[in-house]
Amino acid sequence: MSNSLKGFYKILITLVVALGIGAIFILAIGENPIAAYGALLKGALGTKLGLGNTIAGFTPLLLTSIAFAVAAKGGAFNVGVEGEVILGGITAAYIGVNWGFLPVPLLYLACFLGAMAVAAAWAFIPAVLKAYYNVSEVCVTILMNTVALYIGSYLVSGPMSAGTATPQSDPVLVTLPKIMKPSNANAGVFIAIVVVVLVILIVYKTKWGYKIRTVGTNPAFADYVGISSKKVFISTMLLSGMLGGIAGCIEVLGVYGYYLDNFAKDLGTNGMLAALIVKSNMTTTPFIALFLAVLKAGSMAMQQATDVPKSIVDTVSAIFIIIATMNFVVSLRTRRKAEKAAAEKRPQDPSSAGTEGKGGSK
Amino acid sequence: MEVFESLGKIFNVSLIYATFRASTPIIYAALCAAITQQANILNIGTEGIMLVGAFTAVAVSYFTGSWILGVAAAMGGGAVIAMIMAVGHIKYDSEICAIGMGINLFAIAITKFLMQVLFNTNGTFSDPAIVPIPTVHLPFLEHIPVLNELLNDWCFTEWFVIIFIIILQFLFYKTVWGLRLRAVGQFPMAAQTAGINVNAVKYQAMLISGLIGGLAGAHLSLGYSTQFVENMTNNRGFMGVAAMYFGGANPVLTAVGCLLFGFSDSVGARLQAYGFPAQFVLMTPYLVTVIVLAVSMAIKLGAVKKKQSSLVTG
Repeated sequence: MSNSLKGFYKILITLVVALGIGAIFILAIGENPIAAYGALLKGALGTKLGLGNTIAGFTPLLLTSIAFAVAAKGGAFNVGVEGEVILGGITAAYIGVNWGFLPVPLLYLACFLGAMAVAAAWAFIPAVLKAYYNVSEVCVTILMNTVALYIGSYLVSGPMSAGTATPQSDPVLVTLPKIMKPSNANAGVFIAIVVVVLVILIVYKTKWGYKIRTVGTNPAFADYVGISSKKVFISTMLLSGMLGGIAGCIEVLGVYGYYLDNFAKDLGTNGMLAALIVKSNMTTTPFIALFLAVLKAGSMAMQQATDVPKSIVDTVSAIFIIIATMNFVVSLRTRRKAEKAAAEKRPQDPSSAGTEGKGGSK
Repeated sequence: MEVFESLGKIFNVSLIYATFRASTPIIYAALCAAITQQANILNIGTEGIMLVGAFTAVAVSYFTGSWILGVAAAMGGGAVIAMIMAVGHIKYDSEICAIGMGINLFAIAITKFLMQVLFNTNGTFSDPAIVPIPTVHLPFLEHIPVLNELLNDWCFTEWFVIIFIIILQFLFYKTVWGLRLRAVGQFPMAAQTAGINVNAVKYQAMLISGLIGGLAGAHLSLGYSTQFVENMTNNRGFMGVAAMYFGGANPVLTAVGCLLFGFSDSVGARLQAYGFPAQFVLMTPYLVTVIVLAVSMAIKLGAVKKKQSSLVTG
């Protein structure tokens, strides 16, 4: 309990520091940071349209952040979620446009399953390369994102093109209902929440989840007790890929109703950001995803209201993760120092020795 | 016959220079990653260091009218970014991939922000006031047909990269500092026992890496082109990291890996003229990078296994 509370404080402090640095940037260009942040919040939450846009932005972010987090739980640094979103989206669009012979409920299912399968297959490549040939998955997934982007772009400007000026596919036959018109918020948000809850349950309450966490913590130990670390690693990446695929499918069926070229821009990156801020803690990641969605949705309103460029939001989020990756150990060190001092004062105290051991194991 | 004619147009003498030209920014990036890899730090932030360098170079060159100041400032900027990473990773124990990606995102965001604030534009900033890195014109080559096409009018930093590869090769494998650097990378505890200040060496490696990364960026924005474009590094930093893996952080082998990517890039650009879809052309270097990375790692792994098994049986 005290640990999670500390984690919460840590995020809060990091957030304040990041926003503070952002405020300095805003001051430096001669604007008022309080007015800017106020305009941002008002834009994201103050109006019905803004709130809808926040929800619409939150939906894919929730899935991509959990996709990154679940891969991290299994020991993979999966930067390739964006590519998985793209390929999931294009698959959903292909099935949604061309498989009209299926009855409607089955067509929904086919879209989602198809998107999941293709995205998982895409994630399978870096997973195998990492597991069997020790090729850095960071490098491979980053490069494969670009390849996925061009595959999608080729398909919608060539074979699947709707013949319009902007590269996009024909409209799909089934769409997810919009819940807060005129914004892009759609029923996909409920699917996303259900999926994320399921994934969290899988990771923390099932045997497979236990294996994932074991392999992520210590693959050698996993192999020693008879868990094939390679196979579990690959299965984790497949799960991560499926989540990316679902995100792509929801974007296509829910937000656009067709595949729009480059629709997934930054979806994977921002999901990764959300997960990195809380070190891929799966229960807090969704809240960070929501927070980032608020920032993104409000940034446009801020730019219009106050002349502060919306790229300040990306700058602040990036500073947020840079500090978040470090800060933890700072607090741990000071704590450990304090504990050491306490232990030296009262060497026979068993409770302080216990906590020190716990701190040292991390 | 037509096929041969087309092939002749694609694979001609100018392809050699085109390959080298496309490779140079990646070579700098790969060397930036190689020096930290020798100290066992995977420099995922190469991309970000490079991007900041590219922006600083253009901005300083624009305001001062001096390309030397631009390049120097870019190297300084790269060093600052690298030191943020170094402090985070070495002192505060952050995971290198996490902070590296943070740095990359920060670089994209801050350059975008500064471009809007300083130059009031989005997307691309190009201006006649930006002074590029000069090209080296060799008058005595003018009358030699093939060599003139091959070697004349190279950008100054393109010549420098060749010298630089040799300098780094020498530094890594022939100097005391290089020995220490590699010792720190391979067995930090032994290095420490031998009296080497492990963290100091790591900081030095990161600092030099930042300087090189900044230079990589400056070459990209002042030598390779004369402008700054949003996210203009376009994954070249990651290609550099991949090439570094390919060459096992050995500067010469790493540069060879970069040439491979540069080659696929240049051939791709020429194929576009023959009706290949642009997207396939654009994805070629990325695809080649992944394949080369996979194959080189597989071969390396095979070699290690072979060594192990011969030890066991012998």
